[in-house]
Amino acid sequence: MKLEALTPARSRASYIDPAALMRIKNLELRAKLVVDGFLSGLHRSPYHGFSVEFTEYRQYSPGDDLRFLDWRLFARSDRFYLKRFEDETNLRCYLLVDLSRSMGFHSTPLEYDKAEYAKTVAATIAYFLTLQRDAVGLITFDQAIREYLPARYRTGHLHRLMICLEHELAGTATDLGLPLEQVARTARKRGVVVLLSDMLAPVEVLETKLGYLRSQGHEVVVIRILDPSEVSFQFQDESMFFDLESGRELYVDPHAARAGYQERFTDHAKALARVCSGLGVDVYDLTTDGPLDLALFDLLNSRIRRGRQVSRRRRV
Amino acid sequence: MGILVPLYLAGLTALSLPLILHLVRRTPRGRQEFSSLMFLSPTPPRLTRRSRLDQILLLLLRLAALALVTLAFCRPFLREAASLSFADLTGKRLAILIDTSASMKRGDVWQQAIKAAEKQLDDLNPQDDVALFAFSDRLRTIIDFQKEGASPISDKPQVVRNRLKALQPDWGSTDLGTALVAVAGELDTASDVRQSPLEPQIVVISDFQSGSRIEALQSFEWPERVPVVTLRVSPTNTTNAHAQVLPAEEGNELADVRVRVVNAADSRGDQFTVEWSEFVVSPSGGKATNRLKEGLRTDVYVPPGQTRIIRLPRGTDNLQADCIVLRGDDHDFDNTFFVVPPRKLEATLLYAGRDAAEDPEGLQLYLRLAVANDPLRQVEVRPLDATKSLTAPGDSIPEIIVVSQAVSEELRTALTKFVEQGGVLLLVPDGDEAATSVSLFFDDVEFTRAAAETVGAGESRREKYLLLGEIDFTHPLFAPFAGPRYSDFTKIHFWKYRPVTLKSPATTRVVARFDNGDPALLERSVGKGRVLALTSGWQPEDSQLALSSKFVPLVGALLDLACGGTEVAESVAVGQPVPLFSSRRAEDVSPPSESSQKSNENVLGGLTPSARQSSGHIVQTPDGREVRLAADVSSFTETDRPGIYRAKVDSTETRFAVNLSASESLTAPLDLEQLEQRGVRIGTEQTRTQRIDRVRQQRDTELESRQKVWRWLIVVALGLLVMETWWAGRAERKITA
Repeated sequence: MKLEALTPARSRASYIDPAALMRIKNLELRAKLVVDGFLSGLHRSPYHGFSVEFTEYRQYSPGDDLRFLDWRLFARSDRFYLKRFEDETNLRCYLLVDLSRSMGFHSTPLEYDKAEYAKTVAATIAYFLTLQRDAVGLITFDQAIREYLPARYRTGHLHRLMICLEHELAGTATDLGLPLEQVARTARKRGVVVLLSDMLAPVEVLETKLGYLRSQGHEVVVIRILDPSEVSFQFQDESMFFDLESGRELYVDPHAARAGYQERFTDHAKALARVCSGLGVDVYDLTTDGPLDLALFDLLNSRIRRGRQVSRRRRV
Repeated sequence: MGILVPLYLAGLTALSLPLILHLVRRTPRGRQEFSSLMFLSPTPPRLTRRSRLDQILLLLLRLAALALVTLAFCRPFLREAASLSFADLTGKRLAILIDTSASMKRGDVWQQAIKAAEKQLDDLNPQDDVALFAFSDRLRTIIDFQKEGASPISDKPQVVRNRLKALQPDWGSTDLGTALVAVAGELDTASDVRQSPLEPQIVVISDFQSGSRIEALQSFEWPERVPVVTLRVSPTNTTNAHAQVLPAEEGNELADVRVRVVNAADSRGDQFTVEWSEFVVSPSGGKATNRLKEGLRTDVYVPPGQTRIIRLPRGTDNLQADCIVLRGDDHDFDNTFFVVPPRKLEATLLYAGRDAAEDPEGLQLYLRLAVANDPLRQVEVRPLDATKSLTAPGDSIPEIIVVSQAVSEELRTALTKFVEQGGVLLLVPDGDEAATSVSLFFDDVEFTRAAAETVGAGESRREKYLLLGEIDFTHPLFAPFAGPRYSDFTKIHFWKYRPVTLKSPATTRVVARFDNGDPALLERSVGKGRVLALTSGWQPEDSQLALSSKFVPLVGALLDLACGGTEVAESVAVGQPVPLFSSRRAEDVSPPSESSQKSNENVLGGLTPSARQSSGHIVQTPDGREVRLAADVSSFTETDRPGIYRAKVDSTETRFAVNLSASESLTAPLDLEQLEQRGVRIGTEQTRTQRIDRVRQQRDTELESRQKVWRWLIVVALGLLVMETWWAGRAERKITA
């Protein structure tokens, strides 16, 4: 409660986890590549334009825009120089949040489901990025796209984003390809795409879509949110298992079915990892019993480390 | 082995309970929601194996205990005797009470009733006793119960059946109450006296119409052991209405007849026609028919359950129409209402006086004028020939004689005889000589003066006159003027009268006095008749009486006094006695002549009792039958059908109408709860098989209560439950171990 009072964001939306935010406040979400955004020297930009940050002078050559000519210098030195400024483009982040019914599952000791966890992650990242003055977009989806907010950085955008996250779970299936397609179609500039889902869908379809995004230059992060019982399958009593998405019922004796489940689950995870690693997509697994602040901290920390590695490699 | 309460066998369904419980354990307990079943596969082989029953012995023990408890509730017993036959039944004393009232003539109701009665007879056992009673307005015993000591009638049901076929509904009304009370009382006392084991029972077969009289049940304490089974027979078409002529209004006898039309509550029709008709008896004594009067019909709309009163014009030839007929309903039995048409009374008045018939100064002219246009009577005024007998052969016998002249000795004797036989003699002396003859009839009256007293004459007549001061309005002569509107006699002035004094003790009655206290009208009874004397005349010389408005009614009252009133006799209901009167005419006045046909309509209100020398009554019923009655019989009781009856005494014929009781036409069904409210024990009809079943059930109950098998069953069940508990505990210990 103390934290709530401290955090101004809490009044706007309930999904921002203050604990997590406090912990990651000092971190940065850095882009792996320097091409994407720019903020306070964080992201080096390849673009130059009319802005506040001066970079250099360049000699005028015919055909250059006369708006950028430094007339004072011309008066002093009688030479034509163009004044160049750094572009103000920021990091564009697209949060793709899976709000299908399967995300509504939670096992007994926990009081919140995966969707709530995912929403909190998404909200926290969005707020964090807003603090960083980066543009954030949102796509919520199940078997279709439910909400689409283009990536922007402006007043009230975060509030709209929070409202979009409020929507109820719906849908009888999960189509992971659709939001990726949507981003590929609409995002003109390269950005970071964060996919928040339990990934309980066939992974084969991901390969092409992720590849397409990657080819457009987007950086993709997959955050796989799972309930602990989905991982361990620690059910005891035989009962009718009810599929939250399809409504199918199945009589399952957990003791008999556990081994098979875990095997298939691992296979699925492996397949996902294989697809992602092949495309240079990072996959992070978050279980809902883990504290969100720690999880996000680790996530960002590891990215920072990787980013350094990359830049180090580049410098080498 | 028998079961007393088989209904409890339904408790055996509880046996499925342990079975279900044993199986229920095997089905999955709960439902687990899961995000996706994509990594799961079903586990069917284990499920089938586990759905098999285990702990079979436990299950069987539980089942057996439940079955035994259920069986104990069913109260089983071991049957001893094989089966019952009809002969094992206790006999019953059955009284079949069949309604023969007129309403049973509707449609096929009577046939239904006969069938119902025959069904009752078919259902009898040899040990049963049966009696047949018929009732309408009175109870008739057709076949009585077996009398004690009398030899039994062989095949009594067949005898009853034969008598039943001969029965027909009569014209009586329905007195259900009296009939029930009589039969129930008889059954109850018979059972008491003989200590008979036979069960009494009354079966009433009737249409139970709402006009049935049940008042008699009110004051009767119904015997508890006598149940009544009611079998209602009803026609398919229920529309029934009847018309009834209401008594004529006072003083308006010749106006249109008022007819009350009543429609039964369960009728479907509401449009009826009422018309005059003539009831014709064919000379051969065959069936009577109605001859309708054309153009005298009246349509009437009466909703079911309601009553309308209409006026039915009689028309010009009204004398002959003697019944009204209602049309438009389904049942004819009550559609004809008989009414004796008012006839003009023929009367003869003899006048003995010196004045001519057209003399305006005399008495006779005014007398003739007063009786000339009487609509109710045909009065013949003849002069009295003092030299002859009172009546010449061929002449009618006089009812009244008015004498204004002096009376000879012979005439006095004849007149005295006439009066003694019931005649009325009025003396109006018109001279001093005539006045003396008044004393011949009134021996206690003395004339103060021989000459008449003249109060006013000439010019002084305006001021000097006498009035009638004291009038006895209870006397039949003045009774019509009793009302305050008519009792004003002050407009009649008297100028000339003959003052008289009465010796005391006087047998003469003073009916009216002048205002000076002198008698104006004297009356004296002689034999059966009476002598009246006026001390003043009605001619203009004596008084204004003849010219006053009171004179005609006064003469009318005098004629009424002499020959009776003219009101039409009210009709009586079927079954009610009709008083009979004989002619008051006697041979002494004049030898009876064959042609002297006199009608005397005043049957009920006759003035004179029976004749002395009557040879007896002959009553002709509407169907042409003639009933001869002895002379001393005062009433006719065989009014067994509606119609116009003709009673003849000597040469006098009297007609009276007998009609169906109005209550008989109320054919809407009676609510049988009314019987129960009056204490009648309503039973249900039971066939032989049902009775056998009942007896069997009684026996079974007795047997079961003797054997009490259920106790043993409960004991065994308890034992089984103890075993089950022990076994279950053992099994559990084994599992935990």
